[in-house]
Amino acid sequence: MGFWERWRIPIMLAPTMAVIILLFIGGLTYGTLVSLGWQPIIGRTEISLQAYQNIIFSEQYASVFWQGLLLTIWVSFASTFLSAVLALATALLLRRSFFGKRLATFLYQLNLPVPHVVAAIGILFLFSQSGLISRAGAQIGIFGYPSDFPVLVRDKYGIGIILSFVWKEVPFVGVIVLAVLQSLGVDYEDLARSLGANRWQRFRYVILPLVMPGLLSGSILVFAFTFGSFEVPAILGVRFPRTLTVTAVRFFRNPDLNARTEGMAISIIISIIVFFLVLGYMWLSRRTIRQD
Amino acid sequence: MASISSRAPTSKSLARFLHYCAVAFLIFLLLTPLIAFFFNAFSFRWFYPQLFPKEISLRAWESIVASNSKVPEALLNSTILAVGVTLSSVIIGLPAARALGLYSFRGKRVIEFLIISPTIVPGIAVAMGLNINFIRWGLSGNLLGVGLVHLVPVMPYVVLTLSGVFSNYNPEYEQQARSLGAGMLATFWHVTLPAIFPGIVVASLFAYLISWSQYILTFLIGAGQVITMPVLLFSTASGSNNALTAAMSLVFVAPSILILTLTARYLSGKSSAIGGFGQL
Amino acid sequence: MFRYRIMATFLLCLVLMPLAAVAADDMEGPPGFDNWEAVLEEARGQTLNWHMWGGSDAWNSFVDIVYGGELMENYGVTLNRVPLADTVDAVNQVLSEEEAGVAHDEGSVDLIWINGENFKTLKQAGLLYGPWTLNVPNSKYLDWETGGFLLDFGEPIDYSEQPWAAGAFQWIYDTARMDAEDLPRSYAELGEWIGANPGRFTYVAPGPGAFQGTRIVKQLMYELCGGPEPFAAFDQSVWDECSPKAWEVLNAWEANLWREGATYPATANELNELFANGEVDFSLTLTGTGAARGIASGQLPETAKAYLFDANMISGFSYLAIPINSANKAAALVMGNLLVRPDMQAAQLDTNSLGTGATPVVDFSTLSEEEAQAFADIAAAIVGAADPAEFAALVPNTASEYHTLTEQNWERCVLRDEC
Repeated sequence: MGFWERWRIPIMLAPTMAVIILLFIGGLTYGTLVSLGWQPIIGRTEISLQAYQNIIFSEQYASVFWQGLLLTIWVSFASTFLSAVLALATALLLRRSFFGKRLATFLYQLNLPVPHVVAAIGILFLFSQSGLISRAGAQIGIFGYPSDFPVLVRDKYGIGIILSFVWKEVPFVGVIVLAVLQSLGVDYEDLARSLGANRWQRFRYVILPLVMPGLLSGSILVFAFTFGSFEVPAILGVRFPRTLTVTAVRFFRNPDLNARTEGMAISIIISIIVFFLVLGYMWLSRRTIRQD
Repeated sequence: MASISSRAPTSKSLARFLHYCAVAFLIFLLLTPLIAFFFNAFSFRWFYPQLFPKEISLRAWESIVASNSKVPEALLNSTILAVGVTLSSVIIGLPAARALGLYSFRGKRVIEFLIISPTIVPGIAVAMGLNINFIRWGLSGNLLGVGLVHLVPVMPYVVLTLSGVFSNYNPEYEQQARSLGAGMLATFWHVTLPAIFPGIVVASLFAYLISWSQYILTFLIGAGQVITMPVLLFSTASGSNNALTAAMSLVFVAPSILILTLTARYLSGKSSAIGGFGQL
Repeated sequence: MFRYRIMATFLLCLVLMPLAAVAADDMEGPPGFDNWEAVLEEARGQTLNWHMWGGSDAWNSFVDIVYGGELMENYGVTLNRVPLADTVDAVNQVLSEEEAGVAHDEGSVDLIWINGENFKTLKQAGLLYGPWTLNVPNSKYLDWETGGFLLDFGEPIDYSEQPWAAGAFQWIYDTARMDAEDLPRSYAELGEWIGANPGRFTYVAPGPGAFQGTRIVKQLMYELCGGPEPFAAFDQSVWDECSPKAWEVLNAWEANLWREGATYPATANELNELFANGEVDFSLTLTGTGAARGIASGQLPETAKAYLFDANMISGFSYLAIPINSANKAAALVMGNLLVRPDMQAAQLDTNSLGTGATPVVDFSTLSEEEAQAFADIAAAIVGAADPAEFAALVPNTASEYHTLTEQNWERCVLRDEC
């Protein structure tokens, strides 16, 4: 075997792996060290779990952390679930051929390139208590005051955050599912139909298993993204509870350099949680698919 | 066949009508937030409960094009970053995507997992870790440093998309071209590139979009020095001028929508590029 | 008469003290410079990176157009305004650069709009350039002895911080919605008003970047615990005794606040929007000209007006500081000098033009008749400002420790109710 054959694959992988290892792994490793109190620049070289302990158990921060964790988990699970279900439903809707399908599909993708900052602002314009919907309601006499409109943004339960994510991610997951659906053709379904399967059965036993891997990948991306997202909860969230990312950035921006250790610790915790949740989710759903 | 034609035509057209209604409703829901931006961008003294602004004003737009506006600088920075990140990520990612799409080798799963992992681990953890080191290396507060950090969330998408394309690609054509006397470059240009072109378009689209909309990484590494559109918009949104925020948002979104319009046919339809995500 | 009016309105200088004006040529230069000429010389061609909160487009335009234009035309300095979401980001940048070993003439921040705890952070870290404020020619227009700006949140400014705008806490109400005689004039009356008008009041959540909210709480402590005097210097026992009283009052309000106090506006801008849309009946401002700028820019209804309680309303100043590692100190000094030039101070005040409504810090007794007249003319055209007599309620700010403690504990004791 010549040199080129032996080293071809490593050489091809090298540029990408350099980015991943130097920037991604490197940043993460250095961050982990900082979260453990290792900051040689300001003369701290001892390793300790002080920051983690402080965040998770101290009187000052414990409830910020735990309630923030609950909110983060709730928001990202709800957003992911709703996005996946709606993406599947809308993809099925757009999959049939009808007049104007190209236009409809294009409009469906239109908010794909809308940045999350903009999405959050749009949701604020629409759903705040004096927003567009509330005003429309006031015009036709449903509401008399802004306070008659339900609290949907900057609310304790993260409804506005979820709305914003769902609005953004439905087309994202939908486009993936649509691509899978389109590559399938109609053969499988025809076969099933000829075997006497009804509409529900065709969906449950033919379409669903086939789109499941795409749906699964899409929702993993959405879950991981929503869990670590900053802009949307920063714009649409409340002061307490805050999502973990917003809390981490707040710590990190604190002029007291020691608070950075805490900020780093929170973002490491976020990473660990997301990592294991995604692993668990993959394992669970792979098993479910296999059983089918 | 018989069963289909025996159905009453009314129920079929009713079904079609309902389908149209559902599609129209879906599109309406997806577009409403965007419409809100147009309302706001031209409003002045627009208070509850007015549904339509009583005073239409171009003030917001005037301040966007005013001589002191930060918008041109931000647009320029965002464009330089997005174009630079897109080009370099495709160049960096293409060989790896080919290796992953065409060959099987020992440790492939591990490599795949490593490449995907930035989509799972939140960017802030990485950016916070890089922050101090980047300052020391002079990479903080300039476009180069910010662009490097943008590569982290971009690479997985680029490599995944392209490897999806390579897995449906037959390299034998290259050998044929080579045996007919074509050089490496010519082969790439005339054989490889046309075959993977749809994938490159989709990968570039993702790279561009991720870089274009990136706020927190730019904020943490750019140190306030690198003003991009998201950074400027976030700062404006914390003020109380909704008209300006809305107008700026429209300026921010317009190029992306234009690019999407130009590339939409690669995203849907028969293109398998996006199927790469099925491999996660 | 006009002079009385301006001074009563803006409460800038209570005592007119003729300053020994120092001529520019025999003035000593700022640290690192032989004289002012040397500063001007070096500044020419520099780019000034001015980091300032970017949430007010009134401020942004004013700085870019008026100061940017002046700097370019007369001093050859290019102004690069760096908009921040929060001033603390600039402080962080300086700290990080120091930590990373960036040389003291290579830093990226040249000038910061700053005050309070951010100033204290830089000062304690030894990262401020100075003292310089007495070494710029226009410092002769400021009354350094009795102007009241030598202490910023109780912290001596050590002539490393240049005051350039005076602020005063004022409430904003809508004359179309309420009569002046129905307005609450103290926190006790406000409490009653809230009880009688459920859901119609809220305040800015105290915290970093939302110092207006912190000020509301500190003013309440003044009312509950014997005025500003006990808070002038830090005393833990004062805090321990007074803060629980304040939390009690604020928690008692909660049931009748906007959204039952489950959440609060995060910024003054958010509160302004709630007010403008009729969701609540009170907003607030720290700008001396009250509602003027908001009315002019369309953020407030034309019937909005500022007013003050009868006592304990906190006043304060906006300052500029130069970090020790600034790469363009000369340009920063030129800007610091420019800010207190009388015509610039007057332009700043003029909300009917580009001005932001920030009230001047110059001592009117140092001005010529014409210069003073310019201020009077502008002041006369301003709408939405509070009645001049009400400014008698102004008092100084607390020591910054109370500020930090309020920010840290309000969330725990009021919002989270864990005390």
